[in-house]
Amino acid sequence: MGVLPDEIKPALQGVMPSHMATCSLAGEPNVTTVSQVYYVDSDHVALSFQFFSKTIKNIRENPYALAWLIHPGTLDTWDLEIVYDHSETSGPVFDAMDMQIEAIASMTGMKGIFKLKAADIYRVISASKTVGERLPLAEIDTAASAAQEK
Amino acid sequence: MIPDSIVEAIHGAAVISVGTRDEQLRATHTLVVGAVVHPDREAITCFVPEQRFARIQNNLTSNGRVTLAVSLLTHEAYQLKGAYLGSRPTDAKDLAIQELHRAKLLSTMLQRGYPEAIVRPFILGFIYQPGMALSFRVEEMFLQTPGPEAGKKLN
Repeated sequence: MGVLPDEIKPALQGVMPSHMATCSLAGEPNVTTVSQVYYVDSDHVALSFQFFSKTIKNIRENPYALAWLIHPGTLDTWDLEIVYDHSETSGPVFDAMDMQIEAIASMTGMKGIFKLKAADIYRVISASKTVGERLPLAEIDTAASAAQEK
Repeated sequence: MIPDSIVEAIHGAAVISVGTRDEQLRATHTLVVGAVVHPDREAITCFVPEQRFARIQNNLTSNGRVTLAVSLLTHEAYQLKGAYLGSRPTDAKDLAIQELHRAKLLSTMLQRGYPEAIVRPFILGFIYQPGMALSFRVEEMFLQTPGPEAGKKLN
């Protein structure tokens, strides 16, 4: 049995954007939005390498990162501690990511800007639901808030 | 000095996160519910839930490195890096800023056609009190809008 539980899989389908926190060797943290963290297997996820961004530079210096995910059904948020393993520029993971990035770019008006250079594969060290960040879905009083707005 | 465009983004309908790191250079992520640029435009105070703040308190006091990622729904995004100044429990004035931030984010997402059945519980489900106000002095600012210019230094 791997590190990633089955219940996290919907958070890895690109329905809601994820965030990724990295740190340079000089000790500067960085946080960015990523369109999708991809499920590879129960111990690995993949992230897209599209531009030579600060995130990519940091990861090449210091392979540890934290991915923050949103489950689109429960709206729970998750912290994934991950470590960069290797990059793939062809193969099934790359092809699947390329196709999904094209679709996300098209839906968000970013077609032609998002272009996959490589699928970066990360090993998952831990996966945990965040504590103290989200109310349980049943406790969110959306009806009262909607009425207040009217 | 933080320029108008970034002040407007921080005070507007933005998704904001704060990042820190520990002594092993492992980064953390904490979602922010509301933030305010100081009148001198050299510092920012952002508001995070108390329980999430507890995870990063040691990082703030030991190395003090802070980054704030600010993303508008238009994809316009900025990253502000700096040094921790201090923290305190949020007060009634902070709470008003947080509630305004939630309302702006919710109404902007609904106006842009995001599905209400997801957006409303998503925004309203973030715990924001009891909260902590975390202040830092901004040293560097970067453009982070997706594209080849992402990472460009702005100051």
